[in-house]
Amino acid sequence: MMLIVLITNTFRELLAKATLVVLASISTLIIVVTLLSFSSQTTSDGVSLMMFGTPVSPALPLDKVTEFVQTVQVGMAKGMFAGVILFGIFATAGIIPDTLQKGTIDLYLSKPIARWELLLGKYFGGVAVMLANVVYFVGALFLIFGVKTGVWNVGFLFSTLSMTFAFACLFSLVVFLGMIFRNVAIPMIGSFLYLMVISGILQQREATLYLISENGIYRGFLDTLYYLLPQISALQENIANQIMHTGVDWKPFVFSLGSSCLLLGGAAAAFSRRDF
Amino acid sequence: MQAITSESLTKTYRSGRGKSLTALNSFSIAVQQGEIFSLLGPNGAGKTTFIKILLSLVHSTSGQASILGKQLPDTKVRRQIGYLPESHRYPGYMTGDQVLSFFGRLSGLSNAATKSRMQPLMQLVGMEQWRNMKVRKYSKGMLQRLGLAQALINDPDVVFLDEPTDGVDPVGRKEIRDILKNIKQQGKTVFLNSHLLSEVELVSDRVAILDKGKLLKVGTVDELTSTGSRYQIGISGALPESFSHETAAMVLNISYATNALTCELKTTEELNRLIDLLRKHNVAITSIVKQRDSLEDSFINLIKREVAP
Repeated sequence: MMLIVLITNTFRELLAKATLVVLASISTLIIVVTLLSFSSQTTSDGVSLMMFGTPVSPALPLDKVTEFVQTVQVGMAKGMFAGVILFGIFATAGIIPDTLQKGTIDLYLSKPIARWELLLGKYFGGVAVMLANVVYFVGALFLIFGVKTGVWNVGFLFSTLSMTFAFACLFSLVVFLGMIFRNVAIPMIGSFLYLMVISGILQQREATLYLISENGIYRGFLDTLYYLLPQISALQENIANQIMHTGVDWKPFVFSLGSSCLLLGGAAAAFSRRDF
Repeated sequence: MQAITSESLTKTYRSGRGKSLTALNSFSIAVQQGEIFSLLGPNGAGKTTFIKILLSLVHSTSGQASILGKQLPDTKVRRQIGYLPESHRYPGYMTGDQVLSFFGRLSGLSNAATKSRMQPLMQLVGMEQWRNMKVRKYSKGMLQRLGLAQALINDPDVVFLDEPTDGVDPVGRKEIRDILKNIKQQGKTVFLNSHLLSEVELVSDRVAILDKGKLLKVGTVDELTSTGSRYQIGISGALPESFSHETAAMVLNISYATNALTCELKTTEELNRLIDLLRKHNVAITSIVKQRDSLEDSFINLIKREVAP
């Protein structure tokens, strides 16, 4: 019950932040524009797709329409993924350092809750907010495309879970860094650096970092690092595959889940030993 | 039954360079259930460290502590504890009611139980009309009152209050003192940490004085402020010239002021002999008051004695 109270409170705490209002506003704008501009017309030759009443494609057979819609959905999902990560990290990077502030942590820890419970409450609260945002955006677009084109792409709908999972993995790194350094800047910079640079390089380590040295220990270290940290780049690729129904690689999910548990466990261990 | 106990509780903070600071040094104390107990000490004496160990905010280096008979650390016992920290930060986006609701639920109360306690508590701390105002608009005094309501939301058996009257006006302080007395009447224990010694003196049953992590003295306010046999005697009429010579043997110290003399005597018998002497010289006695220090004086004297080589 305590965990639910904490999750609900973190949800409300984040909703009070302007960053997430901006994300929700951008999502709403895209949904409204898509709703008003996108339409299709069925003729005897096939389905013609239109933007603002102007055809953007010749009459296409149903499989081509499906492919077109899926491609558009991949673009939108990638945009949403970037938005979720960007705004999500901005909004949530302060959760742990704020909680650890004098005057706040005293109040929390004087209540009958375990420290790990407090940490998980904050973590899942952050994840729940992003899930709500993603479900709102993707769910609305799923309905719009379904109703207007007849393409009900379940893969697109399920990408909400993949996107939220990817955010949750990166957020575990934010929580870990927030717990260790107790400030907002390092988790924010660290997670962006990891997302933009490190994750991609580690995924492509055989073509990049391996070239620096042939030393087995060095390469082993890189491999360990890759499997120990969330595989965000691979998860992002999986989202596109999921929407296009081209097969999903489950390994990044499994390893990222493991590394997230490790990061959260590390954060909980550091939290349990700390004096406030 | 003892509400709070500590046995040889020690906390040493260690820095990375091998330096260490002992904030609490083999501190042992027992607080009875139903009393208002105050912990006094200069800044850095270890008062807050002690409270924080009891609330599991700080881990002790050695020793033991218990609350309501439960050995610490114990998460469940915190259901019976209320705490008002010295500097508390409530989420500014919440209203007063929402703060109480949130912390009530975190204290393990059901939604219905929390809601039923919110209104009477806000009324008790004089915040009823600001219940639905955002906390970010509250003044310091209002935050303090809300903090007190938050500390009482779970109807705790033991309440820890760190500077509860900080930022509160004199009328509000009186109200808070009345609330504390009311809590005590319900058989609950109040553990107070305050710099306002005059207030501590007004409400506390027992006081402990702590310095550099060590317990210097513990006792009732009367015990701590008693100055021995010092009296102020109100008189009407002039003292004879021989008076000082006649009293030399019986009083340790004597001083004269208009219509009053202050004297330090060895025994109560000496006091009676002094009264006889005054009456013999036809000096009217208008009052006899046993002198005592304020708690502040006692506190300062005790700390000075510790500092002196």
